[in-house]
Amino acid sequence: MNLDYSIVVNKLPLLLEGCWVTLEISFFSLLLGMVFGTAGALCRLSANPVLNRLAFLYVWIIRGTPVMVQLFILYFGLPQLGIKLSSMTAGVFGLAVNTGAYITEIIRAGIQAVDKGQLEASMSLGMNYRQSMTRIIGPQAAKICIPPLVNQYIMTLKNSSIASLVTITELFRTGEQIIYTTFRSFEVYTVVAVLYLIMNSIFMIAADKLEKGLARR
Amino acid sequence: MNSLVEMKKVRKTFGAVEVLKDFNLQLQEGERVVIIGPSGSGKSTVLRCINQLEPIQSGCIHFAGEPVTRQTDLCALRMQIGMVFQRFNLFPHKTALENVTEAPMVVKGISRATAEQEALRLLAKVGLSDKTANYPRELSGGQQQRVAIARALAMNPKIMLFDEPTSALDPELVGEVLLTMKELAEDGMTMVVVTHEMSFAREVADRVIFMDQGMIVEQGSPVEVFERPRHERTKAFLKRIHH
Repeated sequence: MNLDYSIVVNKLPLLLEGCWVTLEISFFSLLLGMVFGTAGALCRLSANPVLNRLAFLYVWIIRGTPVMVQLFILYFGLPQLGIKLSSMTAGVFGLAVNTGAYITEIIRAGIQAVDKGQLEASMSLGMNYRQSMTRIIGPQAAKICIPPLVNQYIMTLKNSSIASLVTITELFRTGEQIIYTTFRSFEVYTVVAVLYLIMNSIFMIAADKLEKGLARR
Repeated sequence: MNSLVEMKKVRKTFGAVEVLKDFNLQLQEGERVVIIGPSGSGKSTVLRCINQLEPIQSGCIHFAGEPVTRQTDLCALRMQIGMVFQRFNLFPHKTALENVTEAPMVVKGISRATAEQEALRLLAKVGLSDKTANYPRELSGGQQQRVAIARALAMNPKIMLFDEPTSALDPELVGEVLLTMKELAEDGMTMVVVTHEMSFAREVADRVIFMDQGMIVEQGSPVEVFERPRHERTKAFLKRIHH
C-alpha cells in the first residue's frame, strides 16, 4: 500500500471549485424541481382529467427511465432535432425534470395525508380551493413532506454527479480529471466521496433543525 | 316567517347506496330543529347537502329563497352557513384565536385588528377567554368544539349546522358544549342539530325530526315525538337509545 494523499491535498482548491458547481447544479435543479413537483401534484389531484393524465404520464415516464438516459436525450439527442442546449442547461433542466417527478409524488401524498376534514372545514367557512390550499392544507402538508423531501434533496445532490457525463465539470468530473494527470484513483475517489458526504451532512443537519423547529409549533 | 332552507325531492346517492330518497325539508328562520335517527339514516348527509359539501343527484335546494344551481357562488353560500363537525376539524397549525380570525380575514378581507376584536368577543362568549393563544392540541375536546363553534360564528352565519357535535367527546365534556349551543339557541340563531342527546332535543328543539333509511319517518314537537311517537320505527329507536 502506497497511498499518498498529499497529491489530493494540493488539488483541493480544484475539488472545492467542483463542489461549488455541484451545489449550483443541485440548488437550481431542486428549485426548478420543486416548481415542477408542486405543479405536478396539483395536476395529479385536479378534477380536470387532462391535467390529471398529463401529470400521471410525466411521473410514469420519468420514474420508469434512468436519469442518465434522460440527460443524454436532452444533451446528445435534442441537437439532432435542432435544439442545442448548453451542458449546464441540459444538466440542470434534466435533473429538475427527474427530481420533479419524485417530488410530485411526495407532495401529492403529503396533501392527501392531511385530514379530509380540514378541507371541509375551510370550505364550510367560505374559502375557495386556492385559499384552502395556501392557508390550511399547504402548511400542514409541507410539514408532512419534509422528511421525504430531504431524502429527495439528498438523492438529487448525489445524482448531480451524473451531470459529469454531459460534460459539466462538477465535483465528480473534477476528480476524474485529477486522476487523468495523477493516476491516484483511490485517493481522489475517497476524497470526492468525503466531500459529497460533508455537503449532504450539512444539509441533513439543517433539515433536522428545521423539522424539530416545526414539530414544536 | 320566511323559509330559510327548503329541500325539495332531494335524492343523494353514494354509488349504489341511496342515502336520501325524495327528501323534503323546510326550515323557518329562527327555528331550532333536531334530527335524530339510527346511524346510516342520512342525518349528517342532510346537513352536508344544505351547505353543498355533498352534491345532490336530483331535486333542489333553496337557501334564503334562492335556488342553489350550478351558477351559485358556493363560497358566498357557505359563508352564510356555519358548520360544526363531529371531529371539530380545527386548524392544528393555528391558535384558537387564529382559528377564529382566519376565515373573516381571508374570505371577507376584514382587517386583523377588527377580526381579532370580534374573535375575542366570540371566544369569551363560548367561555374560552383564557385559551386564545393555545393550539388545538393543547385544548380538551370540549374546548376544541367550543372554539369550532366560535370559528363558525365569526362568519356571522344565518344558520348553524351541528353534525353530532358531542359524539366524539368524553361524557364529562358533553355538558359544556351543549350549554354553549343552548345559549346560541337563546340568542335566536337558526339551528339544525344532528345529535343523540335527547335531553338537549327536549329542551331546545322547536321540532324534532326522526329519520330512517334516508327518509323522514315522523316529525313534530319534542313532546309529540318523544312522548307519543306514532311510528313503530320511532318507538323502537327511542326504546333502544333509552337503554
